[in-house]
Amino acid sequence: MFTKLSEFMDQKLSTPMAKLAEQRHLRAIRDGIIATLPIIIVSSMFMVIAFLPNSMPASWGITQFIKANQATILLPYRVSMYIMTLYAVFGMGYSLSKSYDLDGLSGGILAELCFLLTIIPTAIGAAPASVAELAQTNAELSTYLSTLPAGFVMPMANLGSAGMFIGILASFFAVEVYRFTQKSGFRISMPPQVPESVARSFESLTPTLIVFLVTATITMFLKVNVHGIIATIVKPLISGADSLPSVLLIVLLCQFFWSFGIHGWSIVGSLARPLWLVLLDQNTAAFAAGQALPTIASEPFYQWFVMIGGAGSTIGMAICLLLFSKSQYLKTLGKTAFLPAVFNINEPIIFGTPMVMNPTLMIPFIFAPIANSLIAWFATSAGLVNRVVATAPWTLPGPIGAFLATNSDWRAAVLSIVLITLSTLIYLPFFKMYDKQMLDEETKAN
Amino acid sequence: MKILLVCSQGMSSAIVAKALQEAGTKAGYELDVNECGSQAFEAEVQRGYDAALVAPQIRHRFDGLEKSAKEAGIPIALIKPQGYTPIGGPKLLEQVKELLSL
Repeated sequence: MFTKLSEFMDQKLSTPMAKLAEQRHLRAIRDGIIATLPIIIVSSMFMVIAFLPNSMPASWGITQFIKANQATILLPYRVSMYIMTLYAVFGMGYSLSKSYDLDGLSGGILAELCFLLTIIPTAIGAAPASVAELAQTNAELSTYLSTLPAGFVMPMANLGSAGMFIGILASFFAVEVYRFTQKSGFRISMPPQVPESVARSFESLTPTLIVFLVTATITMFLKVNVHGIIATIVKPLISGADSLPSVLLIVLLCQFFWSFGIHGWSIVGSLARPLWLVLLDQNTAAFAAGQALPTIASEPFYQWFVMIGGAGSTIGMAICLLLFSKSQYLKTLGKTAFLPAVFNINEPIIFGTPMVMNPTLMIPFIFAPIANSLIAWFATSAGLVNRVVATAPWTLPGPIGAFLATNSDWRAAVLSIVLITLSTLIYLPFFKMYDKQMLDEETKAN
Repeated sequence: MKILLVCSQGMSSAIVAKALQEAGTKAGYELDVNECGSQAFEAEVQRGYDAALVAPQIRHRFDGLEKSAKEAGIPIALIKPQGYTPIGGPKLLEQVKELLSL
């Protein structure tokens, strides 16, 4: 009865819903952002190093050295994570044009062009004569003037997560123009006397020309502040994502899909990851500027405090399998599945136990991450642990990842251990019921 | 026999690839099993494989992956959940034999 119902629900509900996330534009966003993750992770580590002095004795030489050179150590971060939309846009344009069977490289470059046309460079001229004269008598002014770059400068703020949504729209627009001109035949055509190779070179100019004209007209000639407009529109969405109800909804959705054996995090992440990146970047930027961290629930929060050991906080299940299995099958599974679970890979547990469509284990599978969310949310908002500020590699063991993600806060590692214990206790009674079922089947079979 | 396993990021499929490799060796088949993430699949599948296998948790991406496998001219199948575990190697081997009619 249960099997039939869950098969019916999988065919009619969860798989079709999961397929929606495979829509080409959503996939392009996902591909583009995921392609930037290595940059974000490595660049986060510069952040960790630059702020090590906060958790080291002030008298150490290395502490003083890092402190004195903090701004310099953070420079690699400024050209990587700080401007990550610049990287993501290329990936989105590439992925979207590939999905239309168009040239990925051309699509990526067009997307990048369209995005950069929304960033307005300004020229910094030489100081006027009167200012230069003042500088001769004022040493402070003179030093200040010498730090000003000469020539054109590009404001960097909107190249980062603040410009993410414009970046998404720009890459969609650029690739759709590209597709339209290629598929509809709407392009500059030459008279037949012109050699074909020359004619083709003009044809390929059409999408570039349209992207240039349309975008530059809006942002540069009409001076519409597109970044300001979009920021106002998405602001409620971003602050909404940083609330306890959204956290619970995201966790429930993820567990819903995984209960049918579908990769829930990758589906939820397709939609939520742009928002998570903005939330995380707000923290990182505030941190680099020495201000209080404004947000709680970006992706590392879920990684290190909610989905410990993988979706469903199955680290608890892994510990039960290893320590309390009586049935031969679960004992064997525990031995092979425990170590991957320590590194947050839990497919062996999910498909091995199986957790999928398992009426007994579905309860802790959903309830354990919910309990973690509630505790972690209150612990973080009460200031008992630092807010997450860095992206640590997701395959690190839970407490280590939690420590690194929160600017080396040992209390985060303690919270992680507490939550692992809690998950184990939540899984234990249901595990025992299931272990007994398996044991009964094994004795019957013998 | 070269076989490609694909999952979300090529992490869990590495565990299953090892299980399949071992089950194959035990049964006397010479298997060369590799794994990759779904984003790398389109390029990787072109590199002379005999069959591709898709992890059950990304079955919603099966259609797109199938298209790439067809372009490469090799058979592709969705791994049954029971075969996608470190101890499910023999079960997965059965599926591979069925797919390649060995």
